[in-house]
Amino acid sequence: MNASDLAQVLVTGIAAGSIYALMGMGLFITYLTTKALNFGQGDFLMIAAFLSMSLLTAGVPVVAAIPAVLLVLAGLGILLERVAIRPLSTALAGSAGSFAWILTTLGFGMLLQNTATVVWGKSSFYSPPLFSSGDKKVVNLFGAGFYLEELVVAGVALLVLGALYWFLFRTRAGKEIAAVAFDKPTAALLGINVRRTVIISYVLMALLAATSGVLAGPITTVQAHMGILFILKGFAVVSIGGFVNPVGILIGGLGFGVMEGISNYVDSQFGDLYPYIFVLVFLIARPSGLFSEVRTDVR
Amino acid sequence: MSRLIQGLAALTFFCSATAVLGQETVKIGAVQGLSGPPAIVDFGESYLQGNQLALKEYQASLPKMKIEFIVYNDEANPQRAVSLVQRLISNDKVSAVIGTVNSGNVAAFAPMLQQAKIPLMAGPAIATDITAKFIDQSPSYIFRCSMVEKYQIDAMLDWGVKNFKKIGLLHGTTGYGMFASSEIQKGMKERNVSLVAIESGAPTATELTSQVLKLKNAGAELVLLFHDSLELLYRSMPKADYKPVVAGNWGLSSLKILEIVGKEGLEGTVMGQALDLNDPKAAAFDAKMQKEFGDKYRWPVVAALGYDGMKLLLKAIDAAGSDPTKIRDALESTSDFVAVSGTPAKPFGPKDHECLDPENVFLGVWRDGRVVRLKQ
Repeated sequence: MNASDLAQVLVTGIAAGSIYALMGMGLFITYLTTKALNFGQGDFLMIAAFLSMSLLTAGVPVVAAIPAVLLVLAGLGILLERVAIRPLSTALAGSAGSFAWILTTLGFGMLLQNTATVVWGKSSFYSPPLFSSGDKKVVNLFGAGFYLEELVVAGVALLVLGALYWFLFRTRAGKEIAAVAFDKPTAALLGINVRRTVIISYVLMALLAATSGVLAGPITTVQAHMGILFILKGFAVVSIGGFVNPVGILIGGLGFGVMEGISNYVDSQFGDLYPYIFVLVFLIARPSGLFSEVRTDVR
Repeated sequence: MSRLIQGLAALTFFCSATAVLGQETVKIGAVQGLSGPPAIVDFGESYLQGNQLALKEYQASLPKMKIEFIVYNDEANPQRAVSLVQRLISNDKVSAVIGTVNSGNVAAFAPMLQQAKIPLMAGPAIATDITAKFIDQSPSYIFRCSMVEKYQIDAMLDWGVKNFKKIGLLHGTTGYGMFASSEIQKGMKERNVSLVAIESGAPTATELTSQVLKLKNAGAELVLLFHDSLELLYRSMPKADYKPVVAGNWGLSSLKILEIVGKEGLEGTVMGQALDLNDPKAAAFDAKMQKEFGDKYRWPVVAALGYDGMKLLLKAIDAAGSDPTKIRDALESTSDFVAVSGTPAKPFGPKDHECLDPENVFLGVWRDGRVVRLKQ
């Protein structure tokens, strides 16, 4: 592999990996507060990609389109918590049925898929670029070409993850999430509004998925079933991170994306398989993830 | 005057209604991929649109038979396709079946129709051996009105080896992509040429930059594209500053691809074809389809084969009635057929159940947003 190919594979991998990391973060944040993963999170990403594509195609400026998408997705996050998580947590807590969230979150995701199919049809679409247009969208660096979008995706993902880290560890609301993650009843006794904290975590999850969707749209193909792929990879990434540490998830995401690019370069026939094999072997060696902690810890 | 017109209209309606009441009803079943992966849906819907236009025209011609067209969606799922065909045979008691997109699905249900002695007009599935597997079981009930993978690959390789020194392949890792890859490699070997690079991608791949870099480094001047997500190659080529000629299966002629990739991106892309829009018959068909389906019509060649497939069935039903065996015999002996696709006047014979023959398949090329016949 020559230097320019390596640079190209690295940047493409980092861009894709950033989106996986954002997805992993979304899974992590809802796991903290409700011990539930939103298996329909990939469909949140898909809805965000479609909405952003439609708004941009209709001529809405990026600065207006992105907040609109974030707002709609935040609403979806609240709705998911209200209809698919909260009824179960109150009615089925402690019983075998407490895993029913797998079904309800998947069902919610399928509803979103079908809605997208009705609204946008069953075909694939290209989303217009966010920050460039036409032939100018390819940027040359170190002899390799990149879509400006790919560099932006990586940059924005890092910023969002930085902001998330700050929110979780430097704000009161973030600390409340940590408290709820440790022990809900104790958090409630200490005066924390557990229900509000849970809702905040679902809004955060939705905002992360929305960011992923807005960023992923222009660098991949938008279609109603695109979410499954991102949620699978997001799950692999959050497993590497170990459900305990946002930095671990970021490293896992970027590593997974880069590994995907390199393995496709080395042997494209099984290129998508090798990263999963790596995750499997890694989890056998370190079952609790990269920054392993025996006990649950969000720091 | 208006009373006279009203009277004539009432008389026409009465005559039509009387004719319909006296007609024999024949049921045709269709199993088609109408949801699932976008490429499947494009194929399924386009083929069905062709079926529907042919049926509409038939019904408008005061026909001998009343046709009941039962359409089911197999969702590109083989088990579902098999159970739907079972339902068409046992519950709906159809006289003929049309379908479907996935060659694997057709392979799964074709033996059931052969055993039930009900003719199948396979399409738009393109795997080479769909009718060949049954042709020696005289009589075979399995017909096809669609592209045949081997025909388009042969046409492409004949042209490719003549015009390019270095040819690369990018294929999917689905059953379809692997099959195409093995046919291409076999075809290249027969022509004593080797591929300079063979790259592949998973059906779930969201981008193919690594594969494109390998093709570029190998110096491939022509890239044979047999990945399920056709648009991904075009997405990665500008990044690698790589502009090979791209050739692939007839999927590349879909207007949906034009919409996704754009006119400039597709310019010069070559694909297997069986419909020449410069032919006045084909152009008239194209105009009719646009009028009928508007912007939902996006794939002239697939729709044309769906149209011809349905017309062939209706012609056979007109001659034979509702008896499936007689319909089969009538299909086999059809002659003087006027097709919009490359289908010849006598498409079938006892040892040929394919609408298209190798000589009816040619190469098309995108020129200025339109697929035209490639001049060789």
